Amino acid sequence: MIRIRLNPTPPLLSLLPALALVVVLMAMVPGFHSGGLQALIAFISASIHPSMDPLVVSSAWRGLQITMATALLSWVVSSFIGVVLGLASATLIWRTFIGKSWPAIFFRRLLAFPRAVHELLWGLLLLQMLGLSPWVAILAITIPYSALVARVLSDQLDTLGERPLIALRQSGAKPIQALTTAIIPPMAPVLMSYCGYRLECALRGATLLGVFGLGGLGTDLQLTLQSLQFEELWTALWMLASVMIILEQLMSWWRQRLKSSGAAPRELLVSVCLMLILGICSLIWLQSLDLDMTSSIRWHPLPLPTVSELITASHELHWLQLIVNTLLLTLLAAGIAIGLPPLGMMLWPSQLGRSIQSLLWGLLRLIPTPLAALLLLLNCEPSLAVAALALGAHNLGVMGRLLKEALDQQSDSCYQALKASGAGDRIAWLYGSLSAQSPGYLAYSAYRADVMLRETAVVGMVGGAGLGWQLIESLSSFNWAQVYLLIGVYAMLTMFGEVLSDHCRQLWTGSRKKPAMALVLQS
Amino acid sequence: MLELKGVHLHGPRGDRLRNIDLIIKPGERIALIGSSGAGKSSLLAIANGSLLPSSGTVLWRGRSLNRRHHSQKQAIGTLWQDLCLVEELNVAQNVNAGALGKRSLLWALANLLAPIEINRCRECLEAVGLPANLARASLSELSGGQRQRVALARLLRQKPEIVLADEPLSSLDPPLAEAVLNLLLNSGLLQNNGLLQNNGLPSTISMPKTLLMSLHQTNLIDRFDRVIGLRSGQLVVDQSTDGLDQAALEWLYQSA
Repeated sequence: MIRIRLNPTPPLLSLLPALALVVVLMAMVPGFHSGGLQALIAFISASIHPSMDPLVVSSAWRGLQITMATALLSWVVSSFIGVVLGLASATLIWRTFIGKSWPAIFFRRLLAFPRAVHELLWGLLLLQMLGLSPWVAILAITIPYSALVARVLSDQLDTLGERPLIALRQSGAKPIQALTTAIIPPMAPVLMSYCGYRLECALRGATLLGVFGLGGLGTDLQLTLQSLQFEELWTALWMLASVMIILEQLMSWWRQRLKSSGAAPRELLVSVCLMLILGICSLIWLQSLDLDMTSSIRWHPLPLPTVSELITASHELHWLQLIVNTLLLTLLAAGIAIGLPPLGMMLWPSQLGRSIQSLLWGLLRLIPTPLAALLLLLNCEPSLAVAALALGAHNLGVMGRLLKEALDQQSDSCYQALKASGAGDRIAWLYGSLSAQSPGYLAYSAYRADVMLRETAVVGMVGGAGLGWQLIESLSSFNWAQVYLLIGVYAMLTMFGEVLSDHCRQLWTGSRKKPAMALVLQS
Repeated sequence: MLELKGVHLHGPRGDRLRNIDLIIKPGERIALIGSSGAGKSSLLAIANGSLLPSSGTVLWRGRSLNRRHHSQKQAIGTLWQDLCLVEELNVAQNVNAGALGKRSLLWALANLLAPIEINRCRECLEAVGLPANLARASLSELSGGQRQRVALARLLRQKPEIVLADEPLSSLDPPLAEAVLNLLLNSGLLQNNGLLQNNGLPSTISMPKTLLMSLHQTNLIDRFDRVIGLRSGQLVVDQSTDGLDQAALEWLYQSA
C-alpha cells in the first residue's frame, strides 16, 4: 500500500483559505438576481463623475471633519490610557516593583472584556446609556482601543526580558530609574509605530460608527447609498480616500523616520507633546462644528435584569445556532481575506497586475463593511454568504496591503535564482517570494481572524445570522437580559479566539510574541 | 555555447563590468578569479540571465538569452554563493525546485503539499553524498556543508547543460571542498564521507561537462582547463591553465 504523507507547507497554507470564496459564491448563486445590476453599474460609473454640487461637497466636508476630529480625539485618549493600562498589565513592571506578577495577570483578565467587544457594539450600548452625543462615538472607540494598545504594549514589554533590569538594579538604580532606562529605548519605536497605525484604525472605526447613525461621514455614506445617490456617495468616498491616502503616506514617512532615527526616546517625547496638542485641537475642532462637547453627559445606566429574566432569555435564544453561524461567518470571511491576496499576486504577478490589485485593495479598505454588504445586496438576497463576502472583502484590502509591504521589504534573491533556473513568474514567486513571507503572514492571519470574529457584529444584520445580528435585534427590542447574555457569550467567544490565535502564532513563528507584521498593521 | 559580447554593466559606484567578451565552449571547465568586488558575481548573474547588462549581449547557442525563454534558462544551472534555498520547505521540496522550469503550476503546488517524485530526489541526494532519508528533513536541521549539498542536488535535478558556480567552496572545510569540486568537475559522485563513488547510480544523474566557477583558491586552478581573471570589472586574464603565469594571478589580487 502506498502511503502518502501530506504536510502542507506555509506557502500552500497561505493559499488554501481562498477556497472559501468558492463556497461563498456557490452559496450565493441561488439568491443571485440581476435586478440591481443597473444600480451596480450606476455605482461604478458614478466613481468617475462624483457630484460637485456645493451643497453636497460642503455636507460631505462637514461629515469628514466630524469623523476626522472624532478619530483623532479617541486615538489620542485611547493611546494614553492604553499605555497606562499596558504598563499595569505587564508582569515585568510588577516584578520590578513588588516582586510579584499577579496584579499584571489581574489587569490582563480585566481588559480582555473591553477588548473582546467591537466598537460598534460599544457604540450601540453607549447610545442607550448616554443618548445621542458626540462623546458616544469617542468613547466607543476609546474603550476597546485602549485595551488593544494595552495588550500589545504588555506583550512587547514581557518579551523584553528581565536581564537588563536586573543588571541596572544591581548597579544601584532605583526601580523607576531602571525601568525607564531599560524599557524606553527598545519600546519607543514599537509603541510609536503601533500607535500610528491605530490612528488609521480609529478613522475607519469613526466612519463605521457614522454608518450606524453616530454622525460624521459614515452617516452621509449610509444615507446616500440608501437613496441610491451614487454620485453624492462618491463625493464622500473620494474625500475619505484622500484623507486615508494622506494618512497612509504620513504613517509610512513616520515609520521610515523611526527606522533611521537613533534617538527614539526624544522622538517619543515629541510624539507625546504632539498628540496632546492634537487632542486639544480636535476637541476645539468638534466644538467649532457646532457639536456640544461641553454640556454634562446624562448617564442612564442599563437596567439590570433579574435572574429569572436571564433564565428566560437564555431559553429564548438558539445558542448553538448563533455560535455556529458566528464561527462560520468568521471562517468564510477569514478564508477570503487571507487566501485571496497571495492567490491574486501569484496568478497575476506582472507589474500591471500588482498595480491593479493594489488599487483594488485600497478601494476595499475604503468602503466600510456594512456599505460593501449593502452594495452586494443590490444583486443578492441577504444571507450568511453575502455577509461573509462583505466582511472578507474589507479585510482582504488590509491583508493585501500588509502582504505587499512585507514582500517589498524582502530580498528577491531566491525569486531571481528560481527565475534563472527557468521557473516561470508564477512558480518563482510562489517558491521564491511567498515561501519566505508565509510563516509571518499566517501568524498575522491568525490575529486577523480573531479581529474578524469581533467584526461579525458589523455584518450580522446582512446575514440575519450570528451573535452580532442577534445582539442588535435584542438591543432594538430593549431586551436587556438577552443583551447581557449575548455580550457575555460574544466576549467569551472572542477571548477563546484570542487564545486560539495565540497558539496558531506560536505554531507558525515559534513565539507567542506578536509577529512584526502584526505590529505594522493591526485594526 | 555561451557567449558574452561587449558586456557592460553600470553600477551606482561606477562600472561593475567593462566590455567583457567571452566565449565558453561545450566541455570547457573554466575558473573565474579576481579579488572581491572585481565583478565575478555580476558576470555570472549576467551569464545566467538574472541580471541584464547595461549594454552588450549574451548568446546561448547563438541565440540571444531571452529573459522569458524558459528552456534556455533550464539549460544554465547556477550554484549561488548564498545557495538560495527555500527555508520553509523540506530537503526534497528544495531539490524538486530544480525541476520547476519544466513543470506546471499545478505540479509546483502539489510539491508544496507533499514532495513529489520522491525517488528522483533521493537519487539526487545520494549522488551528492547525502543519505536518502534526509529527504523529508527540514533545512534548519542541516549543517552548512549539508545545505551546500542540497543546493548541488537541486542542480542535478535541474539537469542543466552548463553550471555557473559562484564561490561554492568558500564556506566548506578542505575535504568537503575537494569533494564538491570533484563533483562539479564531473569527476564522480559523492559518498556520505565525501569520497568519490561510482556505485551504479542512475546514469541520468551527472553534472554537465561545462563549468564556469568563481573561486579564490588559486592553488586549485590547475584542475580547470582555462582560467579567466577579472580586475575592476575588466577581463584581464584569459588563457589555458597550462603554463599559467603565477605573477599574473598575483597581480589580480593586488589592490587596483
